[in-house]
Amino acid sequence: MTPAEIRITAEPIDTGRCKFLVSEALHAGGARRFASADEATGSPLAEAIFAIPGADVAEVIVSGNLVTVVKRSTAAWPVVGKAVGQAIRAVLAAGQPAVASKPAAPPAGAPDDDALYERVASVFDHEVNPMVARHGGRVELIDVQDAVVMVRMAGGCQGCGMADVTLRQGIEAMLHEHVPEVKGVVDITDHTAGSNPYFAAAKK
Amino acid sequence: MEAARRLGVALTVASEQPSTFAGANPAGLITLDLSHPDHAADQARAFARVHPVHGVVGVDDDTAVVAAAIAAALGVRGNAIAAAHAARDKYEQRTLLAAAGVPVPRFARHRLEEDPHLLAARAPYPCVLKPLRLSASRGVIRADTPATFVTAFERLRRILTEPDVAACGEPARRLLVEEFVPGGEHALEGLLVDGELRMLALFDKPDPLDGPYFEETIYLTPSRLAGDAQRAIADCAQRAATALGLTEGPVHAELRHNARGPWLIELAARPIGGRCSGALRFVIRDAGGEMRDASLEEIVIRHALGMELPNVERERQASGVMMIPVPGAGVLREVRGVGEARAVPLVEEVAITAHPGQVLVPWPEGSRYPGFLFARGDTPEAVDAALRAAYRRLEFVIDAD
Repeated sequence: MTPAEIRITAEPIDTGRCKFLVSEALHAGGARRFASADEATGSPLAEAIFAIPGADVAEVIVSGNLVTVVKRSTAAWPVVGKAVGQAIRAVLAAGQPAVASKPAAPPAGAPDDDALYERVASVFDHEVNPMVARHGGRVELIDVQDAVVMVRMAGGCQGCGMADVTLRQGIEAMLHEHVPEVKGVVDITDHTAGSNPYFAAAKK
Repeated sequence: MEAARRLGVALTVASEQPSTFAGANPAGLITLDLSHPDHAADQARAFARVHPVHGVVGVDDDTAVVAAAIAAALGVRGNAIAAAHAARDKYEQRTLLAAAGVPVPRFARHRLEEDPHLLAARAPYPCVLKPLRLSASRGVIRADTPATFVTAFERLRRILTEPDVAACGEPARRLLVEEFVPGGEHALEGLLVDGELRMLALFDKPDPLDGPYFEETIYLTPSRLAGDAQRAIADCAQRAATALGLTEGPVHAELRHNARGPWLIELAARPIGGRCSGALRFVIRDAGGEMRDASLEEIVIRHALGMELPNVERERQASGVMMIPVPGAGVLREVRGVGEARAVPLVEEVAITAHPGQVLVPWPEGSRYPGFLFARGDTPEAVDAALRAAYRRLEFVIDAD
């Protein structure tokens, strides 16, 4: 596959967050999250994104064919996105793994994500999903990294006008109560592909 | 939500239908009877006894009235209920504005049961028929002749008797007929503080809105109007807010400007619709001289909570949003060319909000855009060109009715 054949679609969420949907899978082993350039060492794609000048990248999440970039700067996404696209193409063209596999054991003092995963999964199974199911929704737990939970919404939640309320006031609040070690929740849903949202998106 | 997070403010989201998480997060989610502001205020008062509330913000025409009722009940910053109510009802608004000498089109209110042929015989032409309460120009139709008046009247009557509209009661049994005001249209985004209107942004609407229907397209800021015309518009909006009795919070005003000056078409006690606010970015200079970016929502929340808001300026870049026109009636199957539209220089976001399978309804019956385009650049002209170029790359695949 040549770089020209790789298709990348950028979907800015807001000035700070943007998702990049790539026509090729970048990482098959669940989601990987990098919260600093140091953490990205050894993962070529994340390294390259953290190195984009003027972007002040705060976070990179790679999952399947989706890359989510969080930046602190007010630089326009078309400018930063171009550099992100170049980084993605370069990594795929090189044929090397875009990101390294998750370390087998957490460094000393770091949160035990595997243990957190089990507890978060239990909250999802017994609390979150029975609740969103009332609106035809479903929330998949993708991964827990550095105590940050990555989720993907489906069914009535995907594309729902209240998805952010569900995420912040519902899921995040519930995790805060049941698993207080969780530091945050990241939504990696492609909401534009939702075909049956419970509430329609904003009118204007 | 994002603005509250950035400000570190604990948020309670109110909705008329219960969230499935309401029981799990009783401080963060509340169900209110938004159709009855007094009842909603009672519910909010009971809620605030357990979970103290320090500010309240409405997000649309209906919740602006509810927010005023709650603010009064809780003794927090807000508009008088009567003022918020007057801003929501087009007839009441025009009556107060005309009495205060604010330039508004000549208008008359009629009942749906009246004979449209009799009304057509004495209507001013061209004229515009409007519902009293609906938003996003739903049901607004221009008539140039008695024959088109009758057709427009019947069409609007059908819209007002649709179940979702008729449910709002008496206001849905009446309509407004007003003189059509020619001229360019502009939208003013402002913030009222102690009755004084601060203009945050003025948008030009470069596409003529001459009817027969009034689906919006492009908003561009900064305005290319001359400085004195901009000041006249701001003054007109200030006089309108004062006439309605609005004193606090966000204001979104639609005005026309022609050789005779500004004309107030509508003023709402709420910010611009949710998605479109993405076209606005501000810089706040703190007391210590430190500058930071802020969204419109952050400014609104800061004001509602009485937080410091010393110096707010819109960003230096030109900015614009295009409300994507409904391509036709039918079921949306697919949107093509999104990637190509995003690749257009200066385009920052292509947000397709309609989902596959959604029924698209064109104006005047419809009121929901299938998506939004956002762009930023050095000049309004460059932003305008980018938005149009991006729009040309989109293709909506729909199954026609």
